[in-house]
Amino acid sequence: MRKLIQLIRRFWNLILFIILEVVSFVLIAKRQSIQGVDIVNSSNAIVGFFYRKQNDVVYYFQLKQMNDSLLNENTRLRNLLAQNSNVDTFRDSIVRIAIPLRDSVKSAVSDTSRKGIGPIKAVRYASYRYIPARVINNSIANDRMNYITLNRGTDDGISKNMAVVAGNGIVGRVANVSAHYATVVSVLSEGRSYSACLSDGTEGFITWEKGSPDYVTLTKIPLQQKVKRGDSVFTTGYSIFPENIMVGNVARIDTIKTNNTKNLRVRLSTNFRKLQYVYVVENKLGEEKRKLESRNIQIKE
Amino acid sequence: MSIYLRNILRYLLLVAIQVLLLNKISLRWWASFSDSFPPFIPFIYPLFLLLLPLTTPVWFMLAAGFTMGITIDAFMDTGGIHAAACVLMAYLRTNVLTALLPKRLSEYTNLTPSVKSMGWTPFLTYAAAMLLLHHTAYFIIEIWNFQSIGYLLLKILATLITSMIFVVLYALLFSSSIAKNE
Repeated sequence: MRKLIQLIRRFWNLILFIILEVVSFVLIAKRQSIQGVDIVNSSNAIVGFFYRKQNDVVYYFQLKQMNDSLLNENTRLRNLLAQNSNVDTFRDSIVRIAIPLRDSVKSAVSDTSRKGIGPIKAVRYASYRYIPARVINNSIANDRMNYITLNRGTDDGISKNMAVVAGNGIVGRVANVSAHYATVVSVLSEGRSYSACLSDGTEGFITWEKGSPDYVTLTKIPLQQKVKRGDSVFTTGYSIFPENIMVGNVARIDTIKTNNTKNLRVRLSTNFRKLQYVYVVENKLGEEKRKLESRNIQIKE
Repeated sequence: MSIYLRNILRYLLLVAIQVLLLNKISLRWWASFSDSFPPFIPFIYPLFLLLLPLTTPVWFMLAAGFTMGITIDAFMDTGGIHAAACVLMAYLRTNVLTALLPKRLSEYTNLTPSVKSMGWTPFLTYAAAMLLLHHTAYFIIEIWNFQSIGYLLLKILATLITSMIFVVLYALLFSSSIAKNE
């Protein structure tokens, strides 16, 4: 026992060093897993407070740019309205509206049995809700994961795994939330792929490779598909993002001979260097969709 | 100003500079080759560990390194990468110092490594060696892919040179005030 204590005292520094390194690596490993919750992240109250104070100062310098981008977005949305193509974010469902029966004699049958009476009517409701948020911290220089901190949290209705879009493109997915702040894993992160399509509906996956915050790669495009530089790429509704949101434009076309596909290098329409405000998208039917799809997986097993 | 207070203030100042200024400017060289050259951030916060007194015990260095790393990790959402790199750097500081300094470490009492006490060339060598350790550890853990070794080296080199510029700037800015206090 005495020898053990002596040994510990002799190698105390080395032991402490190893302990601290192990703790660090556990934290790193927690961060790399997709479901894992970071223990230290910038959605906590102290860090969020500092970022918000800093942003309050810097905010005024960016007002001019912000005005311009908001104006552009307004124009785009007005054009969309004019084309009356807002159907995408709406969803029709067929319901029967019950006719209230005003009988003086109370029926013994319960009201639920009468639900099917009445004419069929299409009720239209929006399946997405957009929550505006300000970017208070943004990183683009990391090689594996880039995070964005927002000034909205659970109090504003934000929860994990919601999609985040900017005025002119896609941004990422909410990773951690606290009461007043949220961190977002941006599209500029390895190991995350999102479904996207060309304007004629040919689907592929967008992934990011380290190096540039301006480009992503659209993979799994069939070889016979005709693509030109400058073609637009949009999101599909299959991953977390709403349909028909601009991803970017094709900048380079690589043909992969081994599996007969094309890889397209896409220049993002979102400017991650100057991200100022974003929208967090709540998909009201997302939970239902996820539950149904997970049931499929269970059946397969 | 006592040595504790000075180091605590330096800690806060360096975190503030790193987080509120340097993290916001993602640098890249040769903007025309933006496709090939990655953006990067210079790191100045390891300077806190470099400037602790020479006789600081190793266990305190490790604890200070871990605290600093975790603080930066929380701000930058990097999990524990900065903490791991900082702890490694803190552990190896005594080895670097014994290799660089002419006398034994225990003979320098109450001396902090600085431009004034060491001179420009030894101090910059010391800083460059330590920062190289830190950056190498950081980017190896961050990238964790040895296929793109050129990319790794490019990123380490670019960050190291830029960090050194900021270290020199810091030394120039704060050396006079340190001289007055001593």
